[in-house]
Amino acid sequence: MTKAQVRVVRRVFFYLLIGIIFVYLMFPFYWAIVSALKTQAELIRTPATLWPDNPVLTNFRAVLSNDRFLRALLNSTIVAGSVTFLSLVVGSFAGYALGKMRFAGRSPSLYVILAMTMFPQIAVLAGLYAVIRVLGMPAIPSMILSYLLFTLPFTVWVLTSFFRGLPESLLEASRVDGATLFQAFRLVLLPLTAPAMVTTGLLAFIQAWNEYLFALTFTVIDPPSRTVPVAIALFTGEIARQEPFGEIMAAAVIVTVPLVALVLIFQQRIVAGLTAGAVKG
Amino acid sequence: MKGSAVRTRAPRKRPVSRLARAESRTAWLLLAPTFIILAVIAFYPFSRVLVSSFTNARFASAADTEYIGFRNYRSLLSMTIRELPPQLDESGQPIVENGVPRYESWVRVLPREPLRYRAVFEFSLLGKRYVLGAVTAPFVRAIWDTSVFTVIAVLLETILGMVIALALNAEFRGRGMMRAAMLVPWAVITAVSARIWEWMLQPTRAGLFNTIGSMLGISDGRTDYFGNAALQLPSMIAMDVWKTTPFMALLLLAGLATIPSELYEAAEVDGASKVRQFFSITLPLLSPTLAVALIFRTLDSLRVFDIFQVVLGNRRFSMASYTQDLLINQRDMGMSSAASVVIFVIVAVFAVLYIRMLGQRSTE
Repeated sequence: MTKAQVRVVRRVFFYLLIGIIFVYLMFPFYWAIVSALKTQAELIRTPATLWPDNPVLTNFRAVLSNDRFLRALLNSTIVAGSVTFLSLVVGSFAGYALGKMRFAGRSPSLYVILAMTMFPQIAVLAGLYAVIRVLGMPAIPSMILSYLLFTLPFTVWVLTSFFRGLPESLLEASRVDGATLFQAFRLVLLPLTAPAMVTTGLLAFIQAWNEYLFALTFTVIDPPSRTVPVAIALFTGEIARQEPFGEIMAAAVIVTVPLVALVLIFQQRIVAGLTAGAVKG
Repeated sequence: MKGSAVRTRAPRKRPVSRLARAESRTAWLLLAPTFIILAVIAFYPFSRVLVSSFTNARFASAADTEYIGFRNYRSLLSMTIRELPPQLDESGQPIVENGVPRYESWVRVLPREPLRYRAVFEFSLLGKRYVLGAVTAPFVRAIWDTSVFTVIAVLLETILGMVIALALNAEFRGRGMMRAAMLVPWAVITAVSARIWEWMLQPTRAGLFNTIGSMLGISDGRTDYFGNAALQLPSMIAMDVWKTTPFMALLLLAGLATIPSELYEAAEVDGASKVRQFFSITLPLLSPTLAVALIFRTLDSLRVFDIFQVVLGNRRFSMASYTQDLLINQRDMGMSSAASVVIFVIVAVFAVLYIRMLGQRSTE
């Protein structure tokens, strides 16, 4: 083979590899969409077909008129939204202190925060449930409070590194102008960290949207408070029959599409945020 | 009064130290909400879990609880390995069926007093047959399964993640789209992805894998991926690898971007092959990132809950799903708490490793 031929063969293999990777990453989601578009008859027909004979929206209609599912969507939005808001507010305070201020106890605090990002949720499950019962908290506020266990340390950790990266001179200039530390934080640093806030907020939102262990446990006695992951995991059809996978797939697609859209819009930032903790250290 | 004392001793230092004290006070004020929240949802609940792990507390019950010392831990972790003697016929010869010797049942071998042992699994070593027995067989089984799951899943994710990262590190048309595609599995809710895989792995040819399997002639189209014990863990691993490989690849890709391209140019001039370049440049320079990614994923896999609970329910447990089952379905708060503490300790070992590694790198 000539050198040019070798190059062509290499290119073909390379694109083949890229193609395989692409199919591997996308296929399960594609399969969910295709299955959601199938009729019940085609869904249980063997062998499975790669594309529906005549795509129908029956499953999507059924799911979107299912009150329990709509309620779960609302619950998830409330929970994930509140958790994100709280983590950003509380986390930016702590991130500012740890990233920009000098005080005794700074480095132990950082270690505690870092350790907390790895804290296994299951380790506090029984105790947390006891706290919630004592406080008499309903399921939704308890989820909001308990999700801070994983979103807050993560938010603090990422925001600390963003704050640390901001130029010191800005802070000094504002202090020369007579601003207090709080004013410097609110008027100078906060606007500068808006992009970091968007990234961290998005990641916190996705973590909360995704959470299953606490949601499953805390809604055992309160099914109307179920969030999306629990509702889909325990999905049963209106009519008792075999597991309604067509509807389940439709529900899966409905809850995934907005998230995929968000992720694609903020792609660059998410990748930066995800790798910030691990690669930069 | 204190202020004036400072003034007389070191008049010039005073403004600085006052500023420093003010800064320290503001810092702690800013940190307070975070630590108060963490105290309520982490430190206090964990101390409750520690305490109740030494009691016989029942979940959601008004019954009195007693301290029972380490009994929960003993019954969770007690295990033993016994040899299974071969079954003998009347003449005292071992019974062999189709070339496989028959062994006594574990029921006759494992201890029953003071605690009753049950079989976790049997295995052969050097021509002898053994049984691993445990008092809480499902938990010991869950520790073993979670470990196997973690080792294999993380290994596959690392290899696959490396392949994807290396491929995407090259310049080519469609690179942006590939990077976007990588975020799709990551964005799908884990519990939802479990249901999608559950559907693909249906035990009939309505399921994708059975359709493909029967088309290729490697299965009869009725493979029960979740019912067959030998296929349960591989199915879980396949789900986890799909969901988390992109994350691994992203981390490795970010690590690859930090390797200066001059190194490759120099290697090219010296005539080093691509394989040689990978082993003498890429791998050594990527190893810090790789180590961090490995521990990160290991920590995550050890805590695995969602996919086990959604797909396998109480057919097969991970450490976390068994602990949750103990609490909610068996209502045994004491045992569940002790299991929580065991998981905490296992995770903590890896977490300390991780923090050390990060600390080392930030001081370098």
